[in-house]
Amino acid sequence: METPFTSAGFKPDAAFASAAERFFELLKTFGMPGAGAAGAGRDWSSLAGPLAGQFEAWLKTSQSAGPWFTAANAAFPGLAAGFGAAQPGSFGPLPLGAGAAPQQDAQRTWDLVARLAQLQGQLAAHWSEIAGSAARRFVARVGAAAGGAPTLDNALKFYELWVNSAEESYAATVRKDDFCRLQAELANTSAALLVEQRRHAETLVHAFGLPTRNEVDALYAQLKDLRRQLAERTDAPRARRAGAKRPAARPAASRRRKRTRKPRA
Amino acid sequence: MRPFATDTEALFPELALRISTTLARLREAQSVTVGCSAKRAVWSCGKTTLYQYLPLGDATPRARARPVLICFALVNRPYVLDLQPDRSLVRRLLVAGLSVYLIDWGDPDDADRRVDLEDYIERDLGGCVRHILDSHGGGALDLLGVCQGGVLSLCYTALHGKQVANLVTLTTPVDFHTPDNLLSKWVRGLDTELLMRSGNVPGEALNALFLSLMPFRLTQHKYVRLLAGNCDQRAVDDFVRMERWIFDSPPQAAVALAQFVRWFYQENRLARGTLRIGGRRVDLGEIRQPVLNLYALGDHIVPPDASAAMERHLGSADYTGCGIDTGHIGMYVSRKAAHEIPQRIIAWLKEHS
Repeated sequence: METPFTSAGFKPDAAFASAAERFFELLKTFGMPGAGAAGAGRDWSSLAGPLAGQFEAWLKTSQSAGPWFTAANAAFPGLAAGFGAAQPGSFGPLPLGAGAAPQQDAQRTWDLVARLAQLQGQLAAHWSEIAGSAARRFVARVGAAAGGAPTLDNALKFYELWVNSAEESYAATVRKDDFCRLQAELANTSAALLVEQRRHAETLVHAFGLPTRNEVDALYAQLKDLRRQLAERTDAPRARRAGAKRPAARPAASRRRKRTRKPRA
Repeated sequence: MRPFATDTEALFPELALRISTTLARLREAQSVTVGCSAKRAVWSCGKTTLYQYLPLGDATPRARARPVLICFALVNRPYVLDLQPDRSLVRRLLVAGLSVYLIDWGDPDDADRRVDLEDYIERDLGGCVRHILDSHGGGALDLLGVCQGGVLSLCYTALHGKQVANLVTLTTPVDFHTPDNLLSKWVRGLDTELLMRSGNVPGEALNALFLSLMPFRLTQHKYVRLLAGNCDQRAVDDFVRMERWIFDSPPQAAVALAQFVRWFYQENRLARGTLRIGGRRVDLGEIRQPVLNLYALGDHIVPPDASAAMERHLGSADYTGCGIDTGHIGMYVSRKAAHEIPQRIIAWLKEHS
């Protein structure tokens, strides 16, 4: 199912249809016979289970399960494919001799994939906590508003109450230090995996005699430096003529640092 | 027990009708245009372009008014400030007879991976300022920084105070470590060296990060609200314009983004006075010109305290801070903001002209 998190672009109709579908499911839960009989006292607890279940399922399928990691998936489809294929020796079958990824590199990639899976598991525990807490909050508040006529406006009021409950529970969890650390580790691990995969790709590219990312970066850096020198040579006389002070008067030490900086991988 | 006294099935026919009507309106709205005022490119450097908005036919140019340069964030497109005629800060400034310029940072590609904050502030923002001052016969201009662009504007003003007569900031953070800053908490543990090495960050990734701050409201609730009875085609058109802007995020140059995360979010250098750009210390105490700081009281990206902290750090004796009762995006496009914010800015600039 596509969610606004997974959609890379601007698709308001698809996003609306998806949200409306979940709203519809929620309404069905509100009205389901198993949720208890009207007037049977103030026990709303039977709603909590189905609500929490639906909610947790949405959390797990939506890309809110880790914005950096999953967005990277969306932006680099190859990365997602890589998770499935990135096992020790995944580059092995390519007949590239010395260009093939060394075994230890493939092992490093596999370790990162395994670590990501582990972190995703930890994240899932947080989604369970949020879903359960949101359902409990909603159930605790719904009593006063319940029992009205089944109009769409009333349904939207319940929905508003549900969203408030969900956001409050979400906020309470995602502000905790352990969640923040987990988010950062997910992002760092997925970035490390991306860097690792690019390194493998560079090895292959090099074996084909094509320019590598590092080489292209070095050329860009050189070009940038030449442009800067040219600008300095053409701007300085003009500024002198205009009698204006150069606003971007960087210290010479800084300019030297810029020129000698080596591009990183 | 269930919330409704009778089965919700009674609702289904009406709900189905509203869903299909809304879907049809959304599809109809796909062709809406964004950006309504005429402009021309007057200067460029790298991917950055400086635009000058053409004066409106019925506006009387203010002879002695200084040019206004709008510096928007790197992480979003600036056309949100000129989204549609009735919600355009740019248009209101033009109607007031001001000469308006706007920086579009463009889309960094792999050739720009190493573009850093010094490039953006000194080369690009500085280049725009110098071009405008050359065109207007020197002196100083009024700088209007928005969100992250406000941070860049603060840095520039602190470093080149003589070129800026008045500074206006909108939803601009200064203290990145206020307790309510969720974004700051999340990125505190990021490995910025790794971020730098992993290349430019796609716009979708940042967008997903922003949506994750309030996922139910921002990815579910706002769509379901379209089912309310008062949502006509015009309201849906407005909604779609905003959606288009939200999902139209440019990629971020790897080095500049990593520096922004590390220097501002992780190390809070702007508030601590330890930020250096191009070898020079950025001291907000050096900002002595009048400053108008507008921030949103319900901002989930730049909490009001993060922005209101500006007052404590500036050297200016003429600081006006004002919290507006809306959210982050509401500051640019809500009906209330569309009226109140331009009015405040124009009145303040007139007072300080």
